[in-house]
Amino acid sequence: MARHPLIGYLVWLVLFGAVFAWEGLALARVSGVPTLSDAFRMIMRYPVGRWALFALWLWAGWHFFIRGWHFLLRA
Amino acid sequence: MAPARVLALSLADRQALIPMAAGYLILMSALGFGLIRLYRPGPSGRDERPDAPRATPPGPVPGATPPDPVPGATPPDPARTGWAALRHVAGTVVGGYLLLMAVVVAYYFGVARVGPGFLESAVSGTALLLGLSAPVFLGLSWLADRRRCS
Repeated sequence: MARHPLIGYLVWLVLFGAVFAWEGLALARVSGVPTLSDAFRMIMRYPVGRWALFALWLWAGWHFFIRGWHFLLRA
Repeated sequence: MAPARVLALSLADRQALIPMAAGYLILMSALGFGLIRLYRPGPSGRDERPDAPRATPPGPVPGATPPDPVPGATPPDPARTGWAALRHVAGTVVGGYLLLMAVVVAYYFGVARVGPGFLESAVSGTALLLGLSAPVFLGLSWLADRRRCS
């Protein structure tokens, strides 16, 4: 059985945990903590912010669903 | 039938794919739960939908209590309907695509030449995603507009 390096899982766990902890605090109305929706709304007020978010979304889709998978792009 | 090499993921693939897939599912579930809560009327009967009128500009305003909005007073934003909305979406799509291509090309030539098919996959793969998602998004937006107007 292959040994999985634990550090990779731990880093992802901490990152996602931090995001959810932040959102939880914001939804609990802790003062000074904006929700993710507030943050995204603020970013999307500006065209460059919208482009950056869209580029990020597109990159994520390409990376996870297209790159390395050949069923739709077989030469 | 899927080729065996697609299903037989390497250790690196598993290490990246499993946490990301789990995180993605958790995040989407949380967003879905949030949407359900947003579209459900609050305890005071107040409309908490995102397109409900807001008494304060969006943003964190600690301690502020917005007054109840006037029911039914939600005129459609002209900048978010019809051709203006289409221009808005098209501008975002084209700008985002060009920005991503600029970053990908800069990464390829400036940081790491990761493989011969990298640039081709970036251009064609993201175009494929756009070709799939943009018509669905436009169709659903049109249906949502029709529902709102009727």
